[in-house]
Amino acid sequence: MVRNARGVCVTHAVFLFFCCHLIAPTAQAQYDVEEESRVWLRAMLDVRVVRGGNDPSWTDGGPGKTRYGGDTSSERVTRLTLSQLAIEVGATLPWNVRAQAQLNLQRDLSDNDEPWLVEALLRKEWGKDENGLGLQLGLMSVPFSLEHVGPAWSPEYTISASALDSWMWEEISLAGAEGEWWHVTPGGLRLGILVGAGFGPDQLGRVVAVRGWAMGDGLSGLNADLLLPTGVRTEIFDERDDRVAAYTWLSIGDAGERVSVRVGLFDNFGDQEVAGVWHTRFATAGVTIHPHPSVDLIVQYLSGEARVSSPANDSSLRAYYALLSHHRGRHRFSVRYDSFRVNDLDGGTVLTEEQGDGVTAAYFLQMGLRHRFGLEYIWLDSRRPTGVVPEPSQDGWQLSYRFRY
Amino acid sequence: MHRLKRLLSMAFVLGVLPSATALAAEPGISGRVVGPDGKGIAEAVVFVQSPVDSASAPTRPRAAMDQVNKTFVPGLLPIVVGTEVRFPNHDQIHHHVYSFSRTKTFELPLYKGQDARPVLFDKLGAVTIGCNIHDWMSGVILVLPTGHYAVTDENGRFTLAGLPAGAYTVAAWHARRRGKLEETAQQVQLAATTPEITFTLALEPARNRPAIHGSRRTP
Repeated sequence: MVRNARGVCVTHAVFLFFCCHLIAPTAQAQYDVEEESRVWLRAMLDVRVVRGGNDPSWTDGGPGKTRYGGDTSSERVTRLTLSQLAIEVGATLPWNVRAQAQLNLQRDLSDNDEPWLVEALLRKEWGKDENGLGLQLGLMSVPFSLEHVGPAWSPEYTISASALDSWMWEEISLAGAEGEWWHVTPGGLRLGILVGAGFGPDQLGRVVAVRGWAMGDGLSGLNADLLLPTGVRTEIFDERDDRVAAYTWLSIGDAGERVSVRVGLFDNFGDQEVAGVWHTRFATAGVTIHPHPSVDLIVQYLSGEARVSSPANDSSLRAYYALLSHHRGRHRFSVRYDSFRVNDLDGGTVLTEEQGDGVTAAYFLQMGLRHRFGLEYIWLDSRRPTGVVPEPSQDGWQLSYRFRY
Repeated sequence: MHRLKRLLSMAFVLGVLPSATALAAEPGISGRVVGPDGKGIAEAVVFVQSPVDSASAPTRPRAAMDQVNKTFVPGLLPIVVGTEVRFPNHDQIHHHVYSFSRTKTFELPLYKGQDARPVLFDKLGAVTIGCNIHDWMSGVILVLPTGHYAVTDENGRFTLAGLPAGAYTVAAWHARRRGKLEETAQQVQLAATTPEITFTLALEPARNRPAIHGSRRTP
């Protein structure tokens, strides 16, 4: 060890010097702009402490309506769980085409450790935010949820989405094409027309008819399958009749997006002559209002029907919610009222009737770019007078830590 | 009435003349920034590297980089070192502004309107600004040693006005330039006339991340 007159370890000083030299930006580096990589990778990890109601969740084959419920002996339990690991990859391709894909690992929803491919698509745009065209090809869900606008398509305002929007991402996954035109008029109106078509959602409606509505934040995809109360799993992406499903999403609002109204129509044009194919169609309308920059008010309504020949489970579907969220600095408070209904249309042996209401309150604390803590309480009352599922009425809370890379 | 107009005219002339005289006495430097093919380069910044202003400003300089339609406005903001920059968000959606640049690392968690605190830029260099929600949003704040700078127009033209006579080192910067900044530096002797200088820069091709607009964008 060599020391100088002041007793400072020379090797230490040399080491520090090199460190400083490496760390201190040169004049050149100072004025450089970091180049954007043509390929990018993002991830989101969501770990939770959850305590649901007494009934086991539907994800465990029980009647519970939330993602996490009690144990098999119908006792409340507190669990530590990995709710979601989302991996997003993207790339800039020639001609300014954007490629992106997302994989989600949600072990409680899948029956194994296989991640689900939530989306994989190519997107090309012409124009700017004021006026443009977009074309998208690949695997995707529909853009109808007004809540799933957070990172990796997570709900932005609460941990669990409304029953309506939970269903959108639970059961709709298709592979196809989508075109969109958007325009801001000289008078300041923002207009949008989106039309899409694709294959895959031939069993759409089965989950919501047989199981009923549920509230959660799970995302399905190409290889997703969900558990039904009957104990079987239903594939979410399952093309059987070779018919194209079609949808449209129309939007109008002011240029500053203080108020926007959106209307969506979906029809899978399912051929009921083909075994296992459901014919499901619905309309949804939503309003987003920002009366103040820190306040979000969202109301969304859905009405539709799902029909299947054998076994008959024809059902009409109806749901709506109203959400109020206030954001200030790192804090967000949200409260939402949910209403959801299933009416049995065929009077067959399996009745799908359901009436339910729910209230959700959530608080988020954002810590820097990467960390978010969330606390949510759900109270819901679901009534299924007859059928395979009794009357699950429960409440529960979740404490979430989310890391975003 | 006529007397009032005459008084106002005189006041206007008296008010304007001194500054016009000052401008005439400080001709400045003008010129172009061009590519190897001779075509003008827009959005380049030409600035005085030295001498550095010795007199400190009585108040801290301020500037703003707005957010409008999911875009930073302006996308390129040159400032003098020591400037406080505000980041108002005039969209009705949240933005989460951040920078991981070595010159300045900061973040402004999700906000709308005028809620975000101003950020002090106290080191020289380029700072890349992004939004954690909208990954295609990108802006650059260029922190310069002096307040004498100009951004080139679409023809690559610039004017550094208000410079007193003297010797200056002038450099040209562009976000996609190849080579070292020092290689662009030119010594300029400013006397009574306005010298014309030309900078030739080679640029890397644009590598902006494709944006998502319409219904698929994240609000």
